[in-house]
Amino acid sequence: MSDIQYTPRELLACVAARMLKDGESVFVGTGLPLVGAMLAKKMHAPNMMAVYECGAIDPEPRQLPWSVSCPWTYYKAPVILSMSSVFGHTRAGYVDVGFLGGAQIDMYGNINATCIGDYHNPKVRLTGSGGANDIASLCDRVIFMGLHLPERLPERVDYITTPGFLDGPGARERAGLPGRGPWRVITHLGVMGFDEETCRMKLLSYHPGVTPELIQQFTGFELLIDENVHETPKPTEEELRILREEVDPNQLFCF
Amino acid sequence: MSHANDRLFDHKLAREWKLKKTRAKVDKRMSLQEAVAKYVEDGDSIIETGFSYVRGPMAAYWEIGRQRKKNLVGIFTPGGLNTVWHEFGGMEGAHVAYVGVEMRGLISPFRRGVERGTFKVFSEWSHGGLALALRAAEQGLNYVACKSMLGTDIMKTNPYIKLAEDPWTGEPVCLVPAMYPDVAIIHVHFADKYGNGRILGPSVNDTAIAVAARKVILTCERIVDTEDIRSNPYQTIVPHYCVDAVCEVPYGAWPGDMPGMYYFDRRLQERVVRVEWKTEEGTRDWYEKYILGTKDHFEMLQLAAEEEGMNVLEYVKQLEYLACDAACYGLGTWGIGGEREWRYEEVAKRAI
Repeated sequence: MSDIQYTPRELLACVAARMLKDGESVFVGTGLPLVGAMLAKKMHAPNMMAVYECGAIDPEPRQLPWSVSCPWTYYKAPVILSMSSVFGHTRAGYVDVGFLGGAQIDMYGNINATCIGDYHNPKVRLTGSGGANDIASLCDRVIFMGLHLPERLPERVDYITTPGFLDGPGARERAGLPGRGPWRVITHLGVMGFDEETCRMKLLSYHPGVTPELIQQFTGFELLIDENVHETPKPTEEELRILREEVDPNQLFCF
Repeated sequence: MSHANDRLFDHKLAREWKLKKTRAKVDKRMSLQEAVAKYVEDGDSIIETGFSYVRGPMAAYWEIGRQRKKNLVGIFTPGGLNTVWHEFGGMEGAHVAYVGVEMRGLISPFRRGVERGTFKVFSEWSHGGLALALRAAEQGLNYVACKSMLGTDIMKTNPYIKLAEDPWTGEPVCLVPAMYPDVAIIHVHFADKYGNGRILGPSVNDTAIAVAARKVILTCERIVDTEDIRSNPYQTIVPHYCVDAVCEVPYGAWPGDMPGMYYFDRRLQERVVRVEWKTEEGTRDWYEKYILGTKDHFEMLQLAAEEEGMNVLEYVKQLEYLACDAACYGLGTWGIGGEREWRYEEVAKRAI
């Protein structure tokens, strides 16, 4: 029992930060991953090495980067390379985790950031891949963060911008993709992983105040439920303090 | 003249063109107006440089708008503020890895154009894939075999890349051909009059772009002596022989960010992206006032300052104050030799 108050995005950031381990290298995508990565670094993972697609590596930002090319992504960086270099080093095996957002993710962890509706006659034209496709193809494993709504978690995405397990078991290997693929999906309702046999998305934990049934209602496909499904631990006072005072005091992301 | 897309992967044409470019150390300084008039032709493909709103050649983009260039073909890795040209006949379509402003959202003129079918997306890319197309051109390779884009719909919506089998291992690879854009405009912190360009911060794809593109305009915050460049070649990302024109344009990346010098103009960018460009009418009003209604970059900067009730010097100083300090970065020694004062004088001189 606790009276700690937090917003959905704050919870997302805290849960995401906990997924990153000290000493790992993380390819950070734009949006909420920027917050999760910085929070992790300020909490339990001071030796986490962040990599950004503009070519920045391992900065020590004083403020939250507002972009993956923002000056804070190379503040006190020991080395600044180029875009093709950082993706090349990722393929070479130097990056453990890819940390992404996106508009839609499906039951196999495929991400759409290109269009809603038919590609040739889209209802909404989105940004396109950016570095997301490369990050998910080349990093050892991938964490996705986003809001949890039925249209954002459809059975199949309208366009596969960024590869998850494509159409199921063995598909990544057949396609020739080096990374192991999606590992965790963090939404404002829960945390999902993927079933090893079927490659389908599986609920691992539900956030405080949410039930697995509710999460199923907000998901556009049948969600598998892990046998050890449990409630996600709430953000601690310390996590929220660092998030609000040091990571995102201007509420750029966590509003 | 063939369509820009027919020239984009033509390595023979690109090489013939470059064989004719001068290697002599000639003074290439000219005004931005002159450089854009001379080197940006209707129908050219034009590649984004810098990274989105960091070190983008914004002054040159606005000048292209003023000169009403027609039917350009964009190459976005990433970028997209210049997709606003589309609604004024300036951009026919683009090759897209990313068009947007990250968490500030989508760029409405691009979105509207694609959804209506007037803006043509010629090919989809990933950032890494497009970076390799440029890198291949820089390294003298016909193509590269990479592990990006495999298995996804990008393979189906990009007519230029190919799925192939690695002849050694038999694994699937994605073949990315070397890309040769018609024109690149690169904004750097310092340049000499011959076109050697030095930056602080990440080069992103700009060295590859400088070599790949047929025509290169280098805009810079300040022209420095060539001896200065030679005393520290390590930060030079653009070699002089690639460059056709050198233009001194202080605050040339505004309203974007210039690492270590000035911060991105967040208020202006948010207003543009989230409010003014949301409708076609709003976009037209903004464009007519800020771009077509001003004679150059400084007048536009001054207009933006006035809108905020500020004097133009106060305005640029505020953006500089927000920039992380260059000395703390270890990015260089900018500001120590009186450069800030020089820039203020330039602004004061050019402002009306």
